[in-house]
Amino acid sequence: MIRVEHLSKRFGTLEVLKDINAEIQQGEVISIIGPSGTGKSTFLRCLNLLDQPSGGRIEIDGEDILAPQANVPALRRRMGMVFQSFNLFAHLTVLENLTIGPIRLLEKPPAQAANTGLELLRMVGLAEKAHAFPDELSGGQKQRVAIARCLSMEPEIILFDEPTSALDPTMVSEVLAVIRRLAKQGMTMAIVTHEMEFARDVSTRVFYMDEGLIYEEGPPEQIFDHPQRQRTRDFIGKVRSLSFTVTSADYDLYALVGKIEGFCEKHLIPARAAHAAQLLAEEVLGVLLSGPGPAAGAHDIELTLAYSERQRQLELRLDSAGPPGNPLDTTALPDDLALTLIRNYADEIAYARVDGRNRLQLRVRQG
Amino acid sequence: MDITHSQHGSVRIIALKGRMDAVTAPLFDKAFAEAATPDASDFVIQLDGLEYISSAGLRSILMVAKQVKAKNGRLILTGLTDEVREVFHLSGFHTILRICDTKEAALAELA
Repeated sequence: MIRVEHLSKRFGTLEVLKDINAEIQQGEVISIIGPSGTGKSTFLRCLNLLDQPSGGRIEIDGEDILAPQANVPALRRRMGMVFQSFNLFAHLTVLENLTIGPIRLLEKPPAQAANTGLELLRMVGLAEKAHAFPDELSGGQKQRVAIARCLSMEPEIILFDEPTSALDPTMVSEVLAVIRRLAKQGMTMAIVTHEMEFARDVSTRVFYMDEGLIYEEGPPEQIFDHPQRQRTRDFIGKVRSLSFTVTSADYDLYALVGKIEGFCEKHLIPARAAHAAQLLAEEVLGVLLSGPGPAAGAHDIELTLAYSERQRQLELRLDSAGPPGNPLDTTALPDDLALTLIRNYADEIAYARVDGRNRLQLRVRQG
Repeated sequence: MDITHSQHGSVRIIALKGRMDAVTAPLFDKAFAEAATPDASDFVIQLDGLEYISSAGLRSILMVAKQVKAKNGRLILTGLTDEVREVFHLSGFHTILRICDTKEAALAELA
């Protein structure tokens, strides 16, 4: 139904979408999850051309909607969109919100549009509010009206952009119930959401987006129970992290220390663990910098400090370029002081060669 | 790291405050070189203001201990904070260096 190839989107110098490739088949319910600012909403807005993509290709049933001759209004009508902020017409009644589009754009007779509108309001449980104005409704009711209005345009797919984010927690479930019902009826949907349980229940597939890419996709069981890739695991495990890049032996140790202190303070990590994290970071970097980098005098080390809120675990990861082999197996050090401290301040140390780089993972001692 | 020098009789006292890491350890090396005049043989290094020490700091202290020993002098470390004490224990430094709780105790021992 929808095929996206190499989709990219820039806002000035900011590259929000880098290289999105995806397919959505009829009847699928796709949940799009991921950290804030990773392009989830932009992806949806590009799909129905509310944002013009910077590159790539979007096909709907084989038709390239980015082609100059594409009939954009007609293509856009095939896709409904439900926004976080409802976007109802405040000066129209609930029913008029549902009939204005079908009458003006689909040229439906007003009586037929009103009948359909009432039917849809019944479906979302709001028939009795047909003649109310949006301001008289709660947030949850407004969003249900917005969904009904979207359905009144008879879309083939509905794009939901964080449909419950603006709602009071007590109103989230009423909106999710309507979306679940649509899913059961076979409506094709793509939903950007932070409601993880909902995404797990309702989706046929889940896209985990990070850094402007669909970083991992799969059925909900894979994404939520057995994520295959590190960033997905971190996100699902509610892992907070900080990153630091080291390119030479003269790296800014105090910038790193400041970051670690701030991070530990923010996440209420005990002082002893924060101290251990600082010490491990300095010692492991010292070992890595004593070894060969990708070029003489140059290094390429990505340090990540990750804290799992769920497991209350602090982990230090160092991903470095260089010849294969555990950097801690080095014989190039002047003594074993650094290695002794590393072994004592880490509860567990793991090494792996991943994507042509050496990856060390150290679980920071908490006690 | 703040480094201050003082002298009590013939004993040179160096007090360290802050962090002793890969960046600051060379500052300590330099400070010790300045304090280690030909007539100086006994040293107290006060660590009660030191919050952090890494292997770079340990290496510097070990180097100083070797220099003092080569001159048949004496070196006492005092006032280890919990963080520093733990690093000393894990690295075995507490077994090879003389450590006193206070500067006064160290000076009494060196008297």
